[in-house]
Amino acid sequence: MRRLERRAIMCLMLAAVLFLGIVVFSWRFVTRGGKWASFYGNTQVYTDGVISRGSVCDRNGILLASCTEDGIVYVDDTTLRKATAHAVGDPGGNIPYGAVNYFKDELIGYDLLNGTYDASRDGKSIQLTIDAEANRTAYNYLSYYDAGLIGVFNYKTGEIVCMVSTPAVDPAYYDDVDPDSAVYYNNFIQATLTPGSTFKLVTAAAAIETLDMEDYSFDCDGYNEYGGDAFRCVAYHGEEDFYDALANSCNGAFGEITRTVGAGTMKKYVNQFGLTSPVDIDGIQTAKGSFSFPGDDDVALSWAGIGQGEDLVNPCAMMVYVGAIANDGEAVAPRLLKRTGIFRRRSGKSLGHYLDAGTAAELRKMMKNNVESSYGAGNFPELDIYAKSGTAEVGYGETSWFVGFIDDEAHPYAFVCWVDGGYGGAAACGPIVRATLYTLIENN
Amino acid sequence: MEKIDSFVAWVVALTEQYPVIAKYMTTVSRWVFVVLAVYILVRTIASLLSTRPTPEVWGYLYVENGVSEPITHWENLIGRSRSADINIPLNTISKNHCLLARRGDEWLLKDLGSTNGTAVNGVRLVPDKRYIISPGDEINLGGVKCILASISIEESRNNEELRRLDKEPISPWKPMLAITLFQFLTVIQLIISMGTKVPGMAVLSFLLLCVLMWVYVFVFRRLRRKGYELEMIAFFMSTISLAITTSSAPTTTFKQFMAIVIGMALFIFMCIYLRDLDRTKRIRPILLILSVLLLVFNLIFGTIKYGAANWVYIGGISFQPSELVKLAFICIGAGTLEELFERRNLYTYAAFSLFCLGCLAVMGDFGTALIFFVTFLVVSFLRSGDFSRFALTSVGAGILGLMILRFKPYIASRFGAWGHVWEEAYVNDAGYQQTRTMSFGAGGGLLGIGAGNGDLKYLNAADTDLVFGMVMEEWGYVIAVLLVLCIVTFSLFAVNSIVAGRSSFYTIAACGAVTMFTFQTMLNVFGSVDLFPLTGVTFPFVSAGGTSMMVSWAMLAYLKAADMRKDASLAIAGRRFELEE
Repeated sequence: MRRLERRAIMCLMLAAVLFLGIVVFSWRFVTRGGKWASFYGNTQVYTDGVISRGSVCDRNGILLASCTEDGIVYVDDTTLRKATAHAVGDPGGNIPYGAVNYFKDELIGYDLLNGTYDASRDGKSIQLTIDAEANRTAYNYLSYYDAGLIGVFNYKTGEIVCMVSTPAVDPAYYDDVDPDSAVYYNNFIQATLTPGSTFKLVTAAAAIETLDMEDYSFDCDGYNEYGGDAFRCVAYHGEEDFYDALANSCNGAFGEITRTVGAGTMKKYVNQFGLTSPVDIDGIQTAKGSFSFPGDDDVALSWAGIGQGEDLVNPCAMMVYVGAIANDGEAVAPRLLKRTGIFRRRSGKSLGHYLDAGTAAELRKMMKNNVESSYGAGNFPELDIYAKSGTAEVGYGETSWFVGFIDDEAHPYAFVCWVDGGYGGAAACGPIVRATLYTLIENN
Repeated sequence: MEKIDSFVAWVVALTEQYPVIAKYMTTVSRWVFVVLAVYILVRTIASLLSTRPTPEVWGYLYVENGVSEPITHWENLIGRSRSADINIPLNTISKNHCLLARRGDEWLLKDLGSTNGTAVNGVRLVPDKRYIISPGDEINLGGVKCILASISIEESRNNEELRRLDKEPISPWKPMLAITLFQFLTVIQLIISMGTKVPGMAVLSFLLLCVLMWVYVFVFRRLRRKGYELEMIAFFMSTISLAITTSSAPTTTFKQFMAIVIGMALFIFMCIYLRDLDRTKRIRPILLILSVLLLVFNLIFGTIKYGAANWVYIGGISFQPSELVKLAFICIGAGTLEELFERRNLYTYAAFSLFCLGCLAVMGDFGTALIFFVTFLVVSFLRSGDFSRFALTSVGAGILGLMILRFKPYIASRFGAWGHVWEEAYVNDAGYQQTRTMSFGAGGGLLGIGAGNGDLKYLNAADTDLVFGMVMEEWGYVIAVLLVLCIVTFSLFAVNSIVAGRSSFYTIAACGAVTMFTFQTMLNVFGSVDLFPLTGVTFPFVSAGGTSMMVSWAMLAYLKAADMRKDASLAIAGRRFELEE
């Protein structure tokens, strides 16, 4: 009998496996329950594979879509539908990061305690941080171009107040649209683009932190031959200091600065500034940028330092970086879900200090100088704007960039704007940014 | 019956008249269900596991060095081995020297082929032959003199006093009231959710289950049996089973209830039958023949259902013979300590196992075949203590090879989806059932969305193979996990009782039964949530299906027969001197 006692450990082991399995399952249940419950096979919350509970509205309570048992009902206004399509999402699930597709567990009102139990069966109304009217304004401007994007976020709280990507689908009438069409593609989240001169903000930061730039000077002959390659500028800049070099967006100067900073240091800074990793927006992972700073090829290194060559940046990551410059070097995680109720937080989630406060202050001065000496402060009346424009040469032509922020206690917004085509970053994107910011300030 | 129908109509009318109150009722009762379930199961589980029974003392063995060893089992191994029940650490004694067993009022002694032999009153025993000895006889074990002493009534009383000091089983009344309330609220909730779709017979089933439970406990309390935790757990699980059945197939609830009735009858019969070990031993050959006949009958007349030909229809009643054979499989696998030293007994069991597995392979019932195989492994390990030599090499490998050959296409498809059910290629194919189980289950949250409200029930086999998901959806994660913990408790309880076990027969039977329960639950639960490949077996006591329910109850008898707490179990006869009082 005593032997049996010992051998019966077999039974205990079997029971232990059962118990451990339940522990594993419980872990999954807690961590993945929301995803499981919001699976399209769950007929409690789906009708014919389309989510049937919950609604989506903007930061000011404008109802953008409600999910009913007869399908998703969108707002009546066509422009508003298209302007918010990428934020709200489509019934076909082709916009994976749209709210009705990505925040399904929130929409169905899932919580661990109650699951999908909901006495009213109405689901939850989720509030996005975007301002629908600002999206509409931006969309109207962006629709002049084949493709474009704008992202504006509050660099203190992280709230993305405007996010538009064009071309955009009309989610209410999508039946004939090819699922692979560009209208489903959210440039702000999914794209990586050649940054062009906006990348000089990164090179400049690396230079400030590692070199003494006070007495820096460069003599631009407009052609700037180096290593058998020409680092042409749009004009002949002549003798210029560091500030002028950035305001003029002088390729010759920044090529030289990059070489002085060195490949290793450049690599370190693009990583430090979060440009090579995905940005997390309430769980959404953006595309991640990629850069190549060859240590043994000064010409390629120079091109990389001025935002050309193999450089690719995700617009959202760029916006977060610019936001860090505005916020004394501290980067704040962007978000799309407006926090309500007791868990509401005033400040955003910090991603740490991307730059020294001193470096950030210096960059701000330089960005102000850009506006005053190059883009014209008069083009942005009543906006205390800091910016950097860019024109990126891509295979088929040029794209225009404008990144920056405004210094406004009540509206601490950083922005990124990009369009396919256009004549110069500030000229093409400036008006879009200006109009969008006006709408935002007026509404909020 | 009329009264029940009018009760249903009344609740339906109220629900329609005050829909807000009905919703509120569901919202609140979800909490009440979880609280009641936690109360019932935590109380009973704690009571089962909180005590280690003090062994009964049946006599003493005085050894010449002045040591007196209490004899605490009906079967005792005497030897030098430290794992012997009566351990005499002297060199002239063999490791497994001899067996001392009690049969009725007699004591049997059997030399196990010891090096220096055994003698009683100067007569040398022939090895492997039984001798009846009496208290006071002088036993010579390899030159060491021992005396078997019977226990006096005085000592016996003292010992019983000691056992009385053990923690008593909890009184069943409060958990019973809780289960009754649970059953009542379940009926109300089902009517709120499903309205007139709840037939009067379903309501009657709950009512009768409640009556059955009270009558059972009243009757056996009168017969001075004190422990009802195992039955409380089974009654609770059966209640959930009735609710699941009502939700998924309302017209079959009464059938499920009848299965509980038959199961309980079988349970009580087996408990009483198992009291007498000799009687039980004698019936094993009959069980063996019956099992073989059943399986052969199944092979000839079996009908394919859900891919396996393991169903038989007789006169409009369908049942699974392989489920019934489980009961015999345990009984045939169990053996007294004496039998464990006999080769022949082991070979019979191995041959029978081989036959069962062969039949199951032909039927195509992979899940049940696995359960038999694992139970065979565990039981043969319990018997021999040695895996590698016997079980695995000879029979095990052969059976496994045979099974893999037989189930190759089936295994390939199930294993292909395993761990990948959420992937595009499987989610609506081989992973369909698992993903739905997890999705609807997660939709239930911790508290469930209310009995009868679920949607998983519309899937094939939702109330059997995927029942864990159905319980999660309608009753919530807490209750679903508690049901699994009940099965874990059975295992702990069975192992915990070994120390006071009278005979290895009961111990092996209990361990075999819990192995079946545990492994079957594992296949059912893990299969449905993609921790294992889906095999399609039932959850004991919970899944819809008559044969499974009957066998679950009957199997519980093996656990009751191992419950050595004083006066607890109806499967244990009281000591005779108490009856004489």
